[in-house]
Amino acid sequence: MYLSTKMLLYNLLAKGIILLFFLMTGPFLLKYFALKDIDAELQDKRDQILTIISQDGMEEFFVEDDSQSGFGSYNILREEYVLLERMEEPFLLDSIFNEQRILDNVAVSYRVCAYVFSFEEEAYLMEIGKSLETINRIFDLISGIILLLLLAFLVLSFFLDNIFSKRLIQPFNKIIRDKISHINEPQQFKHEPVETSTRDFRMLDDAISDMMWRIQKSFNQERVFISHASHELKTPVSILQTKIEAFFGDENLSQREMERLMDMQQTIQKFKKIINALLLLSKVNNAQYLKTESVSLNALLDGLFEEWSPLAKDRALKLNLEIEDDFVYRRSNGSLCQIMLQNALSNAMKYSYKGTTIQLVGQLRADEYQIHIINKGPGISVELMDQVAAGMVFLKDAKKESSGYGLQIIFKIASFLGVKVEAASNSSGTNFIFRFPTN
Amino acid sequence: MRILLVEDEKLLAKEVLFYLEKDEIICDWASNYAEASEQLAVNQYDFVLLDLGLPDGDGMDLLSESKTNQKHALVIILTARSDIKDRVMGLEMGADDYLSKPFSFLELKARMQAILRRKSGWNKEKINIGAFLLDLDSWTVGFQGEKIVLTKKEFSLLHFLLIHPNRVINRFQLAEHIWGDHLEDDYQSNYIDVHIKNIRKKLGNYASVKWLETVRGVGYKIKT
Repeated sequence: MYLSTKMLLYNLLAKGIILLFFLMTGPFLLKYFALKDIDAELQDKRDQILTIISQDGMEEFFVEDDSQSGFGSYNILREEYVLLERMEEPFLLDSIFNEQRILDNVAVSYRVCAYVFSFEEEAYLMEIGKSLETINRIFDLISGIILLLLLAFLVLSFFLDNIFSKRLIQPFNKIIRDKISHINEPQQFKHEPVETSTRDFRMLDDAISDMMWRIQKSFNQERVFISHASHELKTPVSILQTKIEAFFGDENLSQREMERLMDMQQTIQKFKKIINALLLLSKVNNAQYLKTESVSLNALLDGLFEEWSPLAKDRALKLNLEIEDDFVYRRSNGSLCQIMLQNALSNAMKYSYKGTTIQLVGQLRADEYQIHIINKGPGISVELMDQVAAGMVFLKDAKKESSGYGLQIIFKIASFLGVKVEAASNSSGTNFIFRFPTN
Repeated sequence: MRILLVEDEKLLAKEVLFYLEKDEIICDWASNYAEASEQLAVNQYDFVLLDLGLPDGDGMDLLSESKTNQKHALVIILTARSDIKDRVMGLEMGADDYLSKPFSFLELKARMQAILRRKSGWNKEKINIGAFLLDLDSWTVGFQGEKIVLTKKEFSLLHFLLIHPNRVINRFQLAEHIWGDHLEDDYQSNYIDVHIKNIRKKLGNYASVKWLETVRGVGYKIKT
């Protein structure tokens, strides 16, 4: 998942959680404080009534000689009421609670302040109630408004965050696209600083550039070394080669002399191959090859099939080609692709049982083009594969007649070209799978 | 034909000159930048065989000089340097081909002929061998108007042998000509036998191919 997507999701989630908390607690807090306010108001009214009673007595509330009667007063909208009752059996009460009252067959919720007090040796119960309907309506209204605000906020936040985070990490994306993606090709790296006012990105960009300067320097030193080593190694071989060729050109050579020259030529050939293989590996490691070609993989397989079929036949093998839809591998190197596949095929030919078939398969899959080179033979040992995977150039278990560079060349080139290679090998054969990414 | 060989390795230069002069080619040798620069200013050459690694200068600069002073000279870069950039730069600066050391004389000659053919429009050249006709334009072999299909490698081998008639060409030289240097093992030199067998079989169906001789344990030659 990209950083921008993660940031967006994180922002939304964090804001969502905070808003949800307010949504959950806001109305209840509001209700709590509203009740507190009502309670204070009720207590204040209770104190006012007690003051009136203490000043004016109970005459205003009770009819003389009617010991059972009480006083009750509701305002016109039944939002508030006051109730006074004489108590025959008094008890202590000073409480505020919610209670429903049925008035004209309608249940109305009240906040009730109940208080028992004595006046002139009589006990009275005083209730002052205030309707909760208004608070409940406000509670519902505010909950709805908060919910709508939350949704609107989240939608707006999504768009704004999206725009903001994209803009914010634009330099970071540029660093990834233009810089980090080129770290495997130091020679192609561009050192122009990415425009940004964010200090962290500036530091990252500078650090990557510094690192690449050092890698480039090291690559260049390696390139010069390889070039000089190549010159120093190849020049004496060239001299030997030309001298032997000059001998070969002598028409008076006897058969025995020719065979001796061939032995010398073979030794030089071996030496040349070792030098060339080591230089090839070094140059691939040093990213010296250009990746500017578009390679048709089906055409490549066709060419290999045409070239190697007669050779397979001569070794009592059959080469079978199965190709489906073509795929053109862009920004690649045709020669290296050919060397890579050719070495795998050469390996398959060398280690196949006589009379068996080597399958050369090219198939286009969802996100990759696969080339399989399948043979039946003794397979490649696990130890050898481990050594190749560890990047070991001089393979310990390679047979004497073979240097083992072939495998290393396959894996190094594949890595350079961005091709994934798997070699599934057991005692009955080997399946080399080359996976060329299609995107 | 007159050739300037620019090569600082005396032993190598001696062998190349010997080989070229055997073909009655007039050769001049320059062992360093200064000498080469002087030769290029004074003489007219058909070919310049240029080593890039010179003791007193860069062969690339000499290539520019050659292109300025010897507009018609064809240039083949001969170098032991491995840098791909040199190769690309050399070709971009106007070199006609690039041959890595160690190279075979036969390969050098084949490249020179190919460049001459390309530059002088000889692409339609046809070569007779026995009763057969090699068409270098269409890469086919003809026999009395009938086309015989050879694979690219088979044609390339036959052509390479034909460029050097009456000369024994060993399997390694042939293998290097058609495969280059990057196969791991020496099997490819044995595969030459397979290709030759196929050439003989395909052509032998039409006429005798006795002109294609095997030199036991060594290689092949075309006898004309």
